[in-house]
Amino acid sequence: MMNNSGASAAGSSSGSGEGSAPRRNFKRPKYSRFTQQELPACKPILTPQWVISVVEIVDRYDSACIPRNMAKDKVAYIQNAAINKTCNRTLKVLKNMDQPIYVYYQLDNFYQNHRRYVKSRNDAQLRSADEASETSGCDPERTTAGGAPIVPCGLIAWSLFNDTYSFKRGNENVMVNKKGISWKSDRDHKFGKDVYPKNFQNGALIGGAKLDPNKSLSEQEDLIVWMRTAALPTFRKLYGKIEVNLKANDTITVTLENNYNTYSFNGKKKLVLSTTSWLGGKNDFLGIAYLTVGGLCFFLATAFTVVYLVKPRKLGDPSYLSWNRSPLGY
Amino acid sequence: MISVLSTTPISPVSPITNVLPLSLVLLVSLVKEAFEDWKRFQNDTSINSTPIDVLQGQRWESIPWKKLQVGDLVRVKQDGFFPADLLFLASTNPDGVCYIETANLDGETNLKIRKALERTWDYLAPEKAAEFKGEIQCEQPNNSLYTFTGNLIMEKQTLPLSPNQLLLRGCSLRNTEYIVGAVIFTGHETKVMMNSMNVPSKRSTLERKLDKLILALFGCLFSMCLIGAIGSGVFINRKYYYLGFFGDVEPQFNPDNRFVVAILTMFTLITLYSTIIPISLYVSIEMIKFIQSTQFINKDLNMYHAESNTPALARTSNLNEELGQVEYIFSDKTGTLTRNLMEFFKCSIGGEIYGTGITEIERGRAERSGLKVDEGKSPTTAVHEKGFNFDDPRLMHGAWKNERDPEICKEFFRCLALCHTVLPEGDESPEKIMYQAASPDEAALVTAAKNLGFFFYRRTPTTVMIRESHVEKMGKIQEVAYEILNVLEFNSTRKRQSVVCRYPNGRLVLYCKGADTVIYERLGDGNHDMKRLTREHLEQFGSAGLRTLCLAYRELNTELYEKWNEKFIQAKSSLRDREKKLDEVAELIEKDLVLIGCTAIEDKLQEGVPACIETLSRAGIKIWVLTGDKIETAINIAYACNLINNDMKQFIISSETNAIREAEDRGDTVEIARVIRHSVKQDLNRCLEEAQQYLRTISGTKLALIIDGKCLMYALDPNLRANLLNLSLNCSSVVCCRVSPLQKAQVTSLVKKGARKITLSIGDGANDVSMIQAAHVGVGISGLEGMQAVMASDFAIAQFRFLTDLLLVHGRWSYLRLCKVITYFFYKNLTFTLTQFWFTFQTGFSGQRFYDDWFQSLYNVIFTALPVIIVGLFDKDVSASLSKKYPELYREGIRNMFFKWRVVAVWAFFSVYQSLIFYYFTTAASQAGHNSSGKIFGLWDVSTMAFTCVVVTVNLRLLMACNSVTRWHHLSIWGSILAWFVFIFIYSGIMTPYDRQENLFFVIYVLMSTFYFYLALLLIPVAALLGDFLYQGFQRWFYPYDYEIVQEIHKNDPEDSSRIELLEVANHLTPDEARSYAISQLPREKSKHTGFAFDSPGYESFFASQQGVFAPQKAWDVARRASMRSQQRKPRT
Repeated sequence: MMNNSGASAAGSSSGSGEGSAPRRNFKRPKYSRFTQQELPACKPILTPQWVISVVEIVDRYDSACIPRNMAKDKVAYIQNAAINKTCNRTLKVLKNMDQPIYVYYQLDNFYQNHRRYVKSRNDAQLRSADEASETSGCDPERTTAGGAPIVPCGLIAWSLFNDTYSFKRGNENVMVNKKGISWKSDRDHKFGKDVYPKNFQNGALIGGAKLDPNKSLSEQEDLIVWMRTAALPTFRKLYGKIEVNLKANDTITVTLENNYNTYSFNGKKKLVLSTTSWLGGKNDFLGIAYLTVGGLCFFLATAFTVVYLVKPRKLGDPSYLSWNRSPLGY
Repeated sequence: MISVLSTTPISPVSPITNVLPLSLVLLVSLVKEAFEDWKRFQNDTSINSTPIDVLQGQRWESIPWKKLQVGDLVRVKQDGFFPADLLFLASTNPDGVCYIETANLDGETNLKIRKALERTWDYLAPEKAAEFKGEIQCEQPNNSLYTFTGNLIMEKQTLPLSPNQLLLRGCSLRNTEYIVGAVIFTGHETKVMMNSMNVPSKRSTLERKLDKLILALFGCLFSMCLIGAIGSGVFINRKYYYLGFFGDVEPQFNPDNRFVVAILTMFTLITLYSTIIPISLYVSIEMIKFIQSTQFINKDLNMYHAESNTPALARTSNLNEELGQVEYIFSDKTGTLTRNLMEFFKCSIGGEIYGTGITEIERGRAERSGLKVDEGKSPTTAVHEKGFNFDDPRLMHGAWKNERDPEICKEFFRCLALCHTVLPEGDESPEKIMYQAASPDEAALVTAAKNLGFFFYRRTPTTVMIRESHVEKMGKIQEVAYEILNVLEFNSTRKRQSVVCRYPNGRLVLYCKGADTVIYERLGDGNHDMKRLTREHLEQFGSAGLRTLCLAYRELNTELYEKWNEKFIQAKSSLRDREKKLDEVAELIEKDLVLIGCTAIEDKLQEGVPACIETLSRAGIKIWVLTGDKIETAINIAYACNLINNDMKQFIISSETNAIREAEDRGDTVEIARVIRHSVKQDLNRCLEEAQQYLRTISGTKLALIIDGKCLMYALDPNLRANLLNLSLNCSSVVCCRVSPLQKAQVTSLVKKGARKITLSIGDGANDVSMIQAAHVGVGISGLEGMQAVMASDFAIAQFRFLTDLLLVHGRWSYLRLCKVITYFFYKNLTFTLTQFWFTFQTGFSGQRFYDDWFQSLYNVIFTALPVIIVGLFDKDVSASLSKKYPELYREGIRNMFFKWRVVAVWAFFSVYQSLIFYYFTTAASQAGHNSSGKIFGLWDVSTMAFTCVVVTVNLRLLMACNSVTRWHHLSIWGSILAWFVFIFIYSGIMTPYDRQENLFFVIYVLMSTFYFYLALLLIPVAALLGDFLYQGFQRWFYPYDYEIVQEIHKNDPEDSSRIELLEVANHLTPDEARSYAISQLPREKSKHTGFAFDSPGYESFFASQQGVFAPQKAWDVARRASMRSQQRKPRT
């Protein structure tokens, strides 16, 4: 028996290879992946400093901005247009924040990704003035009661966020720059420079903010930001930029108009001030994930080394072949 | 259905993108089908419009075949094909004969004679033919090629018709200028067309299991949709005022009717999750299999037989992977295990044995019992040609005249030269003549007669011409014409053949040859010594594996003959039961025979059969031999092939016991049946008990079962079937002898259905067709005995030994590849769909799609399609030579190790894990701003990110699953990833004027402007693959598959690119090797595996490399050391 197999192994020297061409070209796989187990651990790991250099202030104001007497019926409060909804909040700056400081609002339990919501817009209408009557897909906010097309149509535009914030440091007003908060591609290509709001928020039900009919859509950056619908029901949107440095222990007074109704569906509202780094805003997740994966790899590499030392397996040990393990081969 | 759903408004995706991949898939298969149909159509039209001469008035006119009608008189010229089944009326040859070739029907290339009725010989010229008036009565159209009964009524005279007057469609005319015939059956009623119907289509077991997987996926789809639907019903609420629940809300989102919402959402989700069903899987598999069979199997040089110029042929591409899971092989003997090369080897004349050769079986047996056989080379003077391997100076060159009884020798030779149905072809000289015979035995016998001085050189319908030499005087040659009066043909019930011939001097003799049993029954009294001697010789020949025939003759007187001939003609012209009547008439004259002697023909083993069987049995495949031969011959062939050896406990269930014989002598059929059934039952029970005892007590004893056809008939009875199956499954080899073609099929389906194992039948002749069709995989030997087996088979190979390549190499690879393809398809679609599923939870179960329509539809068609096909084509775990060196690797396929539910579950687990990573990592990481401008991503940015990760990871995962990586793999995998990027760059860069949502506009550029994109792209695939990586490492370290060990053993081997040379070396053992091989086969130890010495070189080099020492590992080194070891070991054992 040995002669037979020996002979067949001995013949493998010449390389004529008449076999089918592609088969010849395969490279033998690396026999073991254990050395490669360490590879992911060598990847650059974010050091904590990079992430921590971003400072973030988060302030939830949805319940705090409701007068005590109305706390029982928040929805009635927010739907009552007669009540003045101005509200003051005080923020403490804990660390130096270099400009630009970004102002975000964060909504919760708001399904901007709901199918009915996502499709309720018409890109053609937003893009060019000629297509103003193009309102397909915008149900139920297509036309006014009289049949005139709404520009911009659809639920997304209709439910535009309408809380406003203004900031004061001591008595000094801190300006919020609302230019350039949307992606340039949206501004230049998706929202027309010659498209002006028409018949917007004229119906019986007002969903949110009104738009200045004299400003073209491409200048209505709040709308552009809002209409880039979020992926998750909890999302942040950029409100503006503060272009002064804030120092540690500064006290910021925020005067906000608490107009937007999140009380119907128990959604939270938060105001966020954040600086950014080259990686963007404060995002612990990526850093932690990197650290975890890296750590895991390191741990596994160690574990495998231990396993290798404690319970070694000879590579290519024929006694591991199943037919050698049991006499009958099964 | 999903496409239809997608056109309704409840669909979350636009219809075009859902219809597109489906139509693409359909288109591919349509094009394939259309191409095949078109070719067939062209073929059909060209055949249908072939011109044929038909009698119109008094002239031959050419019309196309398709206009032919029953009753037309047609003229077929030489080498022309018959357009329909014709009644042969007249030919240009004298005596109204014509020669036809039936290669299209049965593949037999020998010419056959057809003879017209004497009454119709004249209707040759058109003027004469126009006068032909007659009525043909015949049987209904049927599919039996070899039977035909009918009558021709001409001028109130009834003439019987037989197959001899029938010219079948598909045959062609040879050696005849032209013939005239009347059309009997046309079109679909012709016998060849009736035969071509109902070819059973086979599907592989793997595909059937795949159907179950698909069903499971549908179940999964349904439950996912159900969860989503319930969620949507619960979620919907007027409090989400921004969703615009005022005015007329369409029913799908109307919070007032939650039930309708749930139902409609269900349908929405079905379209959304439809990607879980891999629609392109079947097309991909078909493509892979097609290429595998046409490019790899058909073109494998290892399976090319140079002598017969036959490559392997995969006649179907459906069953490639089935070849990797075969557990039972049912093999025919003749022509499959043996060469079907019949050589006249020995004979016994008048109680004297002639012939000096030693058969391989005898040699093998002698070696087994430890005797050295003297390799006495036969003298070179011996005449050696195909079919004749006989040498005995006492008979050759006329020396027989000096024997004790030269007269009986003469009868012997005349019998050989006269009693047959062979056609001589070619030059009428002894050197150049070719004999066309229905069976190679006949040709061998006629060739023997030729070499012994009775040269048969010409046949006319009534005479046989023999050139006799040395009859009267040495060197004298004399041409004798024997008139053949009747031919009593061979059939399987008669088992004999006779001719009645008249010598030129008027002597009337009946020559008969046939099986010993039937001849002995019909011998006259007297001469007991010779009968006894001849019977002894018969047994001796039989045990040497030779095929025997008894020869006998009978002198007839004219009176007796004439009387008999009347009866014969009567029987011949009867319409009903003609065969039976003919048999009965034959009985009347075939009696009181005088025994002449017997012949022994050697049935040579095919090349490499024992080695192949040894390899296959190491691979865990059990081989059953099903043969029509005698029990002794079958056992001997089984011995010669290594199927049975002396170590084995043999169970023989035979009808040749005294009890049965006695019952048969009494002759009562009911009684016989009862006795046989009783004894079979007893035997089975006894054997089963013993077998279980053996299996319980001494492990390692192999069992063998030998059963004959008569017993099998009763053992296959529903009552005993379970016992038979139980017993035979415990046996490592089973030999069934004396079985009919039907029984072959029954045995095959017994194992196929009863034991649910995968079976393969291999055979070469028409008698194997049923068996080939009954098994999961049918393999035909494209050899001598015609094409019927090949036509019925799924694979055709030229030699039995090519089974090693077909199963161990191609079958195993195909199985591995397809398992990988299927599980991978399952994984990639599940992963993709699950990310969508997780997203559904966060969209209020509204059925919002996560990905763009085009992503979803092109995912299967472009971004992940090609690499998996490449893997399906090129992946291999170990090389072909290692596959054959370690046949045990094949067992993984038998046990279906790579497509068990456990394997699928592991893939499913990791696809859940990966989809969670994709979804949560991308969304969680997208919460804050992503570059120093603080801008935020939207839904489509996140989904594009996630999709990019999915495409990259899924493609890389495939790379991880590969055992071998060729540049094709790289090309396709990196190409697919690149294709995605190219696509998204273009797709998000353009803005179309159509009315659609420009969701994706500029998304990729926005994404790529952030570092987040690159970081996530690095992290997520790594994190996703970490799990698989771990699992693979863990599995390999602790529970390695066999092939992984073999990979490790041979990791340092130089690349083998010379499989051909290996094969040559392995097949042609030097005498030394052959001897040691034979010695190693001698009974000595229980376990077969002690001989292995592969261990040492493998880990020596491993430790050397651990210590940083470079140990050169060359294959020849390994081989040399290994062989040294085994040689050292031998003396000890």
